[in-house]
Amino acid sequence: MPATPDQLPNTLTLLILKTLARGPNHGFGIAVHIQDASQGLLNVEEGSLYPALHRLERDRLVSAEWKLTAHHRRARYYRLTPAGRKRLSQAEQHWTSLAKGVGKLLRFA
Amino acid sequence: MKRWWRRLRSRSVEEPGVQDEIAFHLEQRAQLNRQAGLSEDQALASARRQFGNVTRISEDVRRMHVNTFFESLLQDLRYAARGLARSPIFALTAIFAAALGIGSTTAVFSVVDRILFRSLPYANEDRLVSVGMLAPLDTNEFFFAENYFDLRRHQTPFESVTSFTALTTGQAGCDLSEVNPIRLACAQVEASFLPTLGITPLLGRNFTVEEDRRNAARVALMSYGLWQSRFARDPATVGRVFSVDGAPVTIVGILPADFELPTMAVPDLVFPEALNEATEHAGRALRVFARLKPGVSIVQARAALQPLFEHALETAPPRFRKEISFRIRSLRDRQVQDARVAAWVLLASVVAVLLIACANIANLLLARSINRRKEIAVRAALGAGRARLIRQTLTESVLLSACGGALGCALAWALLRVFIALAPNGIPHLEQASIDTRVLFFVLAVSLLSALIFGLAPAFQRSGSESLIGARSTSSHRMLLREALVALEIAVSLVLLTGAGMLLRSLVKLQSSSLGLNTDHVVTAEFVLGRQRYSQPVRQFQFYEELERRMRDIPGISTLAISDSVPPFGATRSLPFASLRVEGQPPFTEGTGGMVTWRYVTPGYFQALGIPILAGRAFSENDRGPGDERIVLGESLARKLFPGGDAVGKRFQYLTSNMVLGVACDVKDAGPAEPPPLEFYVVRKYSEQGIFEHPGGPDGWRSGRVILRTPLDPRVISGWITREFAALDPQLPVNISTLEQRFSKLAQRPRFNAMLLATFAGMGVLLAAIGLYGVMAFLVGQRTPEIGIRMALGATPAAVARWILSRAALWTLAGALAGLAGSLFATSALRTLLFQVPQHDPWTLALAFPALLLIALAAAWIPSRKAARTDPSVALRHE
Repeated sequence: MPATPDQLPNTLTLLILKTLARGPNHGFGIAVHIQDASQGLLNVEEGSLYPALHRLERDRLVSAEWKLTAHHRRARYYRLTPAGRKRLSQAEQHWTSLAKGVGKLLRFA
Repeated sequence: MKRWWRRLRSRSVEEPGVQDEIAFHLEQRAQLNRQAGLSEDQALASARRQFGNVTRISEDVRRMHVNTFFESLLQDLRYAARGLARSPIFALTAIFAAALGIGSTTAVFSVVDRILFRSLPYANEDRLVSVGMLAPLDTNEFFFAENYFDLRRHQTPFESVTSFTALTTGQAGCDLSEVNPIRLACAQVEASFLPTLGITPLLGRNFTVEEDRRNAARVALMSYGLWQSRFARDPATVGRVFSVDGAPVTIVGILPADFELPTMAVPDLVFPEALNEATEHAGRALRVFARLKPGVSIVQARAALQPLFEHALETAPPRFRKEISFRIRSLRDRQVQDARVAAWVLLASVVAVLLIACANIANLLLARSINRRKEIAVRAALGAGRARLIRQTLTESVLLSACGGALGCALAWALLRVFIALAPNGIPHLEQASIDTRVLFFVLAVSLLSALIFGLAPAFQRSGSESLIGARSTSSHRMLLREALVALEIAVSLVLLTGAGMLLRSLVKLQSSSLGLNTDHVVTAEFVLGRQRYSQPVRQFQFYEELERRMRDIPGISTLAISDSVPPFGATRSLPFASLRVEGQPPFTEGTGGMVTWRYVTPGYFQALGIPILAGRAFSENDRGPGDERIVLGESLARKLFPGGDAVGKRFQYLTSNMVLGVACDVKDAGPAEPPPLEFYVVRKYSEQGIFEHPGGPDGWRSGRVILRTPLDPRVISGWITREFAALDPQLPVNISTLEQRFSKLAQRPRFNAMLLATFAGMGVLLAAIGLYGVMAFLVGQRTPEIGIRMALGATPAAVARWILSRAALWTLAGALAGLAGSLFATSALRTLLFQVPQHDPWTLALAFPALLLIALAAAWIPSRKAARTDPSVALRHE
């Protein structure tokens, strides 16, 4: 499906889903991973992660539960649901085709 | 559902929440910062900086999670409640209007439902019909036994037919002569009666065909009521033997609690009818009921029975045939006959009140929505979606309706109690009426719907920016709608008002019209001598003689009479007019000439009841000796028998030669609204032979009434009467009442109708006045700046008030004229309920019309005063 520019996928959602695809993690862990993986190129405002996470949870793309960390601290862990996994693959395709299209356009101009 | 609940709960019992999640995040980040070598303070501050606005974010997250629908619903409700509390007059008026409409509609429909729509206590009642001949003798159809046997043999359209013995009330008295004798209501039915109606006894069995024969051992079925009240529902009652009218009777079964005869009478004991085809020729008059075969309509049944009817007609005396017709109708039609008009009138008037109430609510909501345009425009400008705004408006409407509904339920309950307390006995099944939940929900739905429609209409029309500017251009057509609604309310109120007025006027006429007797200070005692104990005429005669002697000895009696019946509705002896023959004149040949009733009285009868003697004289003690039959004629009968004039001294033939002693004023036996009966009086003689010279009524000569005129308190007298009766025959039940009580029952039904309709008219007018007030107050409020300008330009306060009033008058007049037309049309439905009041009574209209105008203008007066007091400078600054 070719992506239309006004359907720009929610980048943050994509990043979160992709991060969680590696395994369950808490909000802080997700923030750290996004920064590390993008080698500092992507710097999200950390707070904005949480509304996004909870929206995903409401839409049942992720599930959440309170667990203890390795250091015995209570943290809320998020985990991809099957629906979330499906959405991730859609969003990835979507993103790639969009990025490809935009990239071609930029090079052409 | 579970999830919703968990979500709702998770808001209140906050397990680790967003706050903790964020705290964890900040802590972790701070720790990393510390590891990077920042100081404690710096580490924390940097973590916060990187995170962003903690409050806003946690609020965002929270909003994500709550069940937004419920949350905003609660919010809307709170908001609506606050809004209503801010304008309590609006809220109270709307709730009051809704409550009146819902309450009265529910209560009345609960009553009417019992009369018109209730299910009868019979299986497949829609196939049950009443069938018979209709003759001037009776308002209900009947068959003579002979014709009934024919029908039973040729019952082609019917699955089964059955009968019970027709008496005026469908049941005769009988006495349970136990230790405490009581008078019971008894009926005689055929063995096929219960199976035909689809009734099975609660206990025991129906009587058999063998038991339904003459000379069979006497058996009976007992009503649930008697079983419960006197035998404490003892199952052993079945099989017991009781003495009824002095003869032993075995109880074979108990009838179900909801048992009733098709005439709606509930007998205490039901006996076999014991019809005997061999001996019963013209025989008894029977009430005949039948069950149609499935798929057979009443019309088809009627056609099928036509030959049978033709044959039945041949057995009637030829000159009566013209007056006899054949009738077959559904059981329900037979039951609701005269309650029907009243029930429909009630229902219609209640719908009218509901209409007014709905119009009122609509009006109030419209006014409110216009008043709130700016507020809503501001909300829209601040980003509230249209759907959200509509829901907000709706929430308010629904809240109003719900409050009105709750209050309405309470009102319905109270009204129903009032109706039951006031209702005459004749209204069938009223005591069983209860708030019908179907009705309640229906009415709630109607009011809710009206609230929704009118709550929504403004929400849809509005476009935010236009309202914010405060454009007034659109308000004029909405104003027109509101004024038209008020005009409608006024029109409907006028219809109610004229209807109530006419019923009230006819009630006044009923109560002031002369009955032909004086009911004050008269006590009557009713009794029926036991069949067994008084089987001999001599015993009966002795009883009456002794009774008369004893009653005469009671102190404080000014006049005493003994009769076999007392008005109202008393006369049990009747004969066709055609069987009377004036001596020296040809017999009357045109049909029956109607029925003539007569009473068997002692000389004191006319004086005791205060019946004026118009010509000749009343009976005296001398007339009780042997000799000619002496007769006193009622006025109407005298006129009919002797059209030439003076009846006194003339003779007519009936059984023997009777001499007319005098003419008495007509007694309106069936109440003032009915034509007086053709009636005559026969004197009770001193000889025992005299008793049996005339054929007896249903109770033979055993049924008697003592009539006492006394200046004393009836309660004192009744004690004495009871004592004298007990001394004579301790087992004889006696029923004592005052004549006034008996006659007041006659006016009960018209009083009930008039009172109900008057209540509705009152409610209607009140609601219409509130509506008009609301419209005018709103108009004044909206036009305050305009009024200010007018006054600044020199209009006087009086002119402003006139302007407002004239506007109100215009719409009131329009509504009233429409109402006038409506009344002329609607009151024709009242025709049968009216007494001496013409169908289009000019007096009532002449009163109701200005009365309504006056009330309407009074309602408009208050806002017009307010307008007149407008201070131009304040009004203009307001703008």
